[in-house]
Amino acid sequence: MSDLVLENIGKTYANGYHAIPSIDLNIEQGEFIVLVGPSGCGKSTLLRMVAGLETITQGDLLIKGERVNDKEPAARDIAMVFQNYALYPHMSVYDNMAYGLKNRGVNKDEIDTKVNAVAVMLGLEELLSRKPKQLSGGQRQRVAMGRAMVRDPKVFLFDEPLSNLDAKLRVQMRVEIRELQRKLGTTTLYVTHDQVEAMTLADRLVVLNKGHAEQIGTPMELYDRPASTFVAQFIGSPSMNLIPTAVKSEYLQLGVDIRLPCPQLADQKLIWGIRPEHVEICAAEEADVMLSVKAVEALGAETLVHGSLQLGDGNTPNFVVRLAGHHTPKSGERLPLRVPKSAWHLFDAETQQRVEKSCN
Amino acid sequence: MIENRPWLTAISHLSLLLGIAMVALPVWVALVASTHPTEAFGSGEIPLWFGDQAIQNWGAVLFAKAGNGIDAPVWSMMLNSLVMALGITIGKIAISILSAYAIVFFRFPFRGAAFWVIFITLMLPVEVRIVPTYEVVANLDMLNSYSGLVLPLIASATATFLFRQCFMTVPGELVEAARIDGAGPIRFFFDILMPLSRTNIAALFVIMFIYGWNQYLWPLIVTTDDAYYTLVMSIKRMLSVEQGDVEWNQVMVTTLLAMLPPVLVVVGMQKLFVKGLVDAEK
Repeated sequence: MSDLVLENIGKTYANGYHAIPSIDLNIEQGEFIVLVGPSGCGKSTLLRMVAGLETITQGDLLIKGERVNDKEPAARDIAMVFQNYALYPHMSVYDNMAYGLKNRGVNKDEIDTKVNAVAVMLGLEELLSRKPKQLSGGQRQRVAMGRAMVRDPKVFLFDEPLSNLDAKLRVQMRVEIRELQRKLGTTTLYVTHDQVEAMTLADRLVVLNKGHAEQIGTPMELYDRPASTFVAQFIGSPSMNLIPTAVKSEYLQLGVDIRLPCPQLADQKLIWGIRPEHVEICAAEEADVMLSVKAVEALGAETLVHGSLQLGDGNTPNFVVRLAGHHTPKSGERLPLRVPKSAWHLFDAETQQRVEKSCN
Repeated sequence: MIENRPWLTAISHLSLLLGIAMVALPVWVALVASTHPTEAFGSGEIPLWFGDQAIQNWGAVLFAKAGNGIDAPVWSMMLNSLVMALGITIGKIAISILSAYAIVFFRFPFRGAAFWVIFITLMLPVEVRIVPTYEVVANLDMLNSYSGLVLPLIASATATFLFRQCFMTVPGELVEAARIDGAGPIRFFFDILMPLSRTNIAALFVIMFIYGWNQYLWPLIVTTDDAYYTLVMSIKRMLSVEQGDVEWNQVMVTTLLAMLPPVLVVVGMQKLFVKGLVDAEK
């Protein structure tokens, strides 16, 4: 039995605005699900609906097989970690973690045991008597997590918990969250707009766009086989190069005189995509396309080359290439590139959906 | 701003000293006058140094009957004033914190209207509604009673407004975190909201206590029984002598006693008061 089930869940606001038309999702026991999407895509709304902080206007929400649509947040047995931590400023770290248990009428000794156990797990033993004001950002984050863990809930909900931390701490906390979740085996729903966070944390990802689930799958599924141009651009950094084109008589017509064989597809308008890291530099005579370099970002381990493809006809779409190691092409230089067919992604120009037939 | 101009420093010090003198001199005069016998004022001269009657005067005023036919000693009037001031203060804080809580955190029909109705009562202080309020209090048989002194002054738009502003700065996530932690409305109010508005409560306590203590018109109207006289109104009564001299020494003792509690409250709660008005602890 799935642990957390969203059946045809939807949200319409009182003013008639359809925030979420309909979403179906089955989450297994212990799974780490990340909801990811740009701001305004409804990911936080969905999370808050699961938490019980927003009403559900359509569909059913089941936690361990029990319908909880109309239950108060406290009665759903969930715990939530907020973006701004939302620690009670006048309570000590200990009281912050103990408050939920106290309200549930757990006896003092048990609270003490539980809070101390969680404090040890999170390395907060020394800080138990401090107020949130006296803690650093990372420590506050830990306390917020401790407050969620101490109750041993059925589901953890995280609402962009790392976005207030600096970059270094974010990476560290990311690893920590993952480890803790594995250790505790608690089903987790995690909202973020950061795709790196999403990719590294998730067992399965849900990419949301305007309240629709564009694609649900493991990070690698989404990376290898994005279901739409939206997912293709959202997952992976820098994002996938997408160029509108068409298939004509078994050839992909990239430009006036750039034709790539593509025998299995009927004539149609397409969007052709390739990830920057799958493009290769090659000798001029083997080149599929030429790139006119505009700017180079050297990151040490890799080099990002921004430029425009020379497709003839005055058609010069922007294109990014990601190369391993050091490269120093000059601005204005023309780079010969090979685009291996195995790395192609094709999308329907109308529906923006993936065209499954490969050209091999 | 740091400036180093000697004449500016001199002038600012001078004006400060002048200000202090203007405030402190009457207090000094009152203090000195309270130590002289009644006859000392007959000549029309105001003594500026202490006399030898301090203990007799203070003792007489505090424990014997206050002068000019008032049938109660000053300590009992102080007690009345204290009961009234504390009643008004605590009542105002309790009522306004609850109404602000309702207005900010609960969604009910005419919530906005309720707030504005409370707000426009700012335009209706006791002085304006004194006749109808008296009528109501008289009909309820509350003349000459503590409840009559306190209840009509207990609602406060100012305090409601202040608490509303304070509550609106409480982050929404905090409210939600408390909901998830299983805190219902009452728990949330006592466990989270009250501690968070501690400094605001203190600031209001100071303001409202002084307001309550200094009430003059209302106690003058609702009390006819000497046992319920408050200190501030009896000073006036002690001054309106028909025959003979005003007993200035006793009046001054009473005045000083009337000044004391507000000063104590302000001094005692100074830190919290400033904190409550200036910074938000969230």
